[in-house]
Amino acid sequence: MELFFYPLAVIVSGGLISLFLPEKFKGAAVSLAAGIGMVPLVYLSLEVINSGNAMGAAADFSYPIGTVNFAIDPLSSFFIILISLMSFIGSIYSMEHTKMYHGKGKGLSSHFFFLSLLIASMLLLAAVQNALLFLVVWEVMSFSSYLLMTFENEKDGVYKAGINYLISMHVGVIFLMSGFAVLAVKTGSYDFNSFRSVLEQGDLESVGIFFLIFAGFGMKSGFIPLYTWLPGAYSAAPAHVSAIMSGVMKKTGIYGIFRFIVLMKIPPPEIAFIILAISLITGITGVAYAVVQKDLKRVLAYSSIENIGIAGTGMGLGLLGLAYGKPPMAVLGFTGALIHVFNHSIFKPLLFFSVGNIFARTGSVNMEKLGGLIKPMAFTGLSFLIGSLAVSGLPFFNGFTGEFMIYWSMFSGLSKGEPFLSIIMIVSLAGLASIGAMAIICFTRAFSITFLGSPRSSYDMTPENPGLASRLVFSIQIFFIVIIGIFPQYVFMFTGKIVSSFIPAGHAAAIPGYFSALGSLSSVLFIFLAVVSILFIARFRLLRHRAPSSFKTWDCGYQAGNTRMQYTGSSFAAPFMKILRPLYSLTVRIDRPAGLFPDRGGYDSTVEDNLEKRVIYPVINGLNKFLNAFTWIQSGSTQQYIMYGLLFLIATVIWIMAA
Amino acid sequence: MIMIVKAVNLALLFLLPFFFAGLINRVKSRLSGRMGPPILQPVKDFVKLMKKSEVISVSTSLVFIIAPSITLGSVIVAGLLVPMSGGSSILSFDADFILFAYLLGLGKFFSIISAMDTGSSFEGMGASREGTFAGLVEPPFFITIASLGLLGGGISFSGLMKIPFGTGDLTGLVFLMGVVALFIMVIVEGCRVPVDDPNTHLELTMIHEVMILDNSGPGLGYLTYSSWMKMVVMGSIIANLIIPEELYYAWSLLLFLAVIALLAMVIGIIETVMARLRMTHIPQFLFFMTSISIVVLSTIVLFISGGLK
Repeated sequence: MELFFYPLAVIVSGGLISLFLPEKFKGAAVSLAAGIGMVPLVYLSLEVINSGNAMGAAADFSYPIGTVNFAIDPLSSFFIILISLMSFIGSIYSMEHTKMYHGKGKGLSSHFFFLSLLIASMLLLAAVQNALLFLVVWEVMSFSSYLLMTFENEKDGVYKAGINYLISMHVGVIFLMSGFAVLAVKTGSYDFNSFRSVLEQGDLESVGIFFLIFAGFGMKSGFIPLYTWLPGAYSAAPAHVSAIMSGVMKKTGIYGIFRFIVLMKIPPPEIAFIILAISLITGITGVAYAVVQKDLKRVLAYSSIENIGIAGTGMGLGLLGLAYGKPPMAVLGFTGALIHVFNHSIFKPLLFFSVGNIFARTGSVNMEKLGGLIKPMAFTGLSFLIGSLAVSGLPFFNGFTGEFMIYWSMFSGLSKGEPFLSIIMIVSLAGLASIGAMAIICFTRAFSITFLGSPRSSYDMTPENPGLASRLVFSIQIFFIVIIGIFPQYVFMFTGKIVSSFIPAGHAAAIPGYFSALGSLSSVLFIFLAVVSILFIARFRLLRHRAPSSFKTWDCGYQAGNTRMQYTGSSFAAPFMKILRPLYSLTVRIDRPAGLFPDRGGYDSTVEDNLEKRVIYPVINGLNKFLNAFTWIQSGSTQQYIMYGLLFLIATVIWIMAA
Repeated sequence: MIMIVKAVNLALLFLLPFFFAGLINRVKSRLSGRMGPPILQPVKDFVKLMKKSEVISVSTSLVFIIAPSITLGSVIVAGLLVPMSGGSSILSFDADFILFAYLLGLGKFFSIISAMDTGSSFEGMGASREGTFAGLVEPPFFITIASLGLLGGGISFSGLMKIPFGTGDLTGLVFLMGVVALFIMVIVEGCRVPVDDPNTHLELTMIHEVMILDNSGPGLGYLTYSSWMKMVVMGSIIANLIIPEELYYAWSLLLFLAVIALLAMVIGIIETVMARLRMTHIPQFLFFMTSISIVVLSTIVLFISGGLK
């Protein structure tokens, strides 16, 4: 267990040391510490996963907290690997990305210190087994991410998004606290393991407690309808922070949900159905909003919501498999969820980093102002393309591996004996299929409007020269994306070990059976690679002796074409938006050319999120009005507050006497 | 024996697309009173394209160069997963239709970005329509396939249920609806009337054809061939729902060819007798496929839960 705590100390001291270093070296100190810390953490976690034995330690704290248990079981290990690896990658990129803020008095000291604090708190979270300390660490994490997020606070709207984030996180904490409090009262202990006795019962009460906790964690992960903070926060944060928030911190919510699922053993089917429904709705809504965004960071933010939905779907299926006693479904669902969580924390940071590079060069992340960037930014463009293919879940890239398991889990839930479950499974199949189809629309749009065609505004067209750090970081991510994509069988066996540690042994026996089917999937992918290469070489050989001629794009004979006439992101999304019209509120402003010699005209359209505007805001406003009725309690006069204390004491005395 | 069947199927996968396209044109021309080009005209067209050099737009990048190979490659490998004659596919494993659908998705991804690469607003228009319409048929495809798989008890293409001829039970009707749903998918994937008209020459009304406006030579050949092949591949799924399992291979092969030919003729007849739908009506037509697939699903569920006999 020392192997766990020392690295954390190294990471935090890296942050402390960076406070005293010149601006240039702050990032290096933090990423070096994260790198040094990562090695033993990954080693330790792999050890735990391979042996299947959890490690534990206990520490005594003073009164309110008491004895705190730390434990690293295979589930924690999985998240420790994810967090330490991706935080390391994220901190290297931060080092490179923050170069553009050097010498501008931007307060990089606190930025890097809180980055290291964020990393350490996320790691610690995975091992804490005590509800009180968990909440403390959770708060440290939320608060340091808030400080990181509001880094560009001179910009409009950054503080607004930040405060929205901070408040949402605290609403989430209230859910968590109440859930934990009920459990602690019932069991007399704050230890997660002792919560088991209440959660295992599977009665209405335990379902209620579970959903309190689910809401708390769901707020962090951004399940619908608890997502409203997310698009704003991710687009306000600098790219490297959005990457860490979306790629790593969001996963702590998933970790929390998993942690409590494990405690339930065999959950009641209602929980599974509700999680499945919420997740599918989250996935569909997330991607449907992602399709219409113009701000690339918002596209990625909404797509993060979608991906949490997909992971949640896997989780729901796993739970259904347990509840209905269907091992294949449980195993495939849980592994699918874990693999998807891991995949998302690889490809989403890659996409955010690419957007960071775009911002560093063009000063904009609005795709309607970009275009043709693949020529000056070939390296970034290729990375964004690979990230897009992965996030769309297309074969050969890692996104497919996780989604394949989840689809497969749905198919294995089909059975003649259970018509109801079969209907649910087929509806979920349709849901996941539409998520996949929409993701293709979303990312072909984001990639092609930004990188392809011709530039829509003028910017530096000299070829980019990516620094060593970006080259390294991007290649590591692309390596994982492809490896997980083409060898699903090994990834499955590895994740299977984690899943088998928390599902009943009878279910775990189903795991080895999938190795060969996934092996054939992998060989088909190699056949695909071979076919494509043959076709490409054939075309190349055919054209070898024929010089290709270059000509401008076919413009229907129009002679005065310019780059502003290219298809825009909004027009690309228009046919799609028409179909799901009720989801969006569209405002169009048209300045019609007027007079005999019109000089200018304009067209401007804005799309807003109707779910937020029409459903969630009214609820929040109603709540606001209701709570405003109680403002007289907080009068501001000290005498009155002392009176409250007195009244409370008297009431307590009466209550105790009566009891 | 199984090796011979697979070899035949591989040959069919590569050769049938030409016949399929030729037959559609032949039916169309005969019905409209023309002689029409020979049935093997598509072969000549393909060879002609392969012999030409390419014109590459100045605004394109590497994406435009690699996309045709990836699109065709994805259709070929998707074709390997689908059972053709004799009900056997060249490659088969559990849950293979997921890979099938996603390989087609990969092909679509590249054809969309390759169209966008030219920076032409016409091609953008086509790309955005293609993405949207293809997205609309994905969910009903999964509903139909999963419903039929539920009845057949298998989770791969070879485990799909066959039409129970002569048993006199109601499921035959359900299968008919399943066939209709999949046929709509053939039309969408192949970009045929009433969703798209391959013969139109007005950029504003095209979908697939406008996306390949700037392709030429071998690249164009790959793309055209892949769209013919897609129809054959989707048609094979339909053919395998219809053809009974326990036939002699020779009969089964003949029947397979007959069904594919019949599909080509039906497409030809549809293209002769009706015009393309207005762009705004296409989503409604595609939702029709969704409703059919939901009917298929509900009937099958009623059937297995004992509500229907």
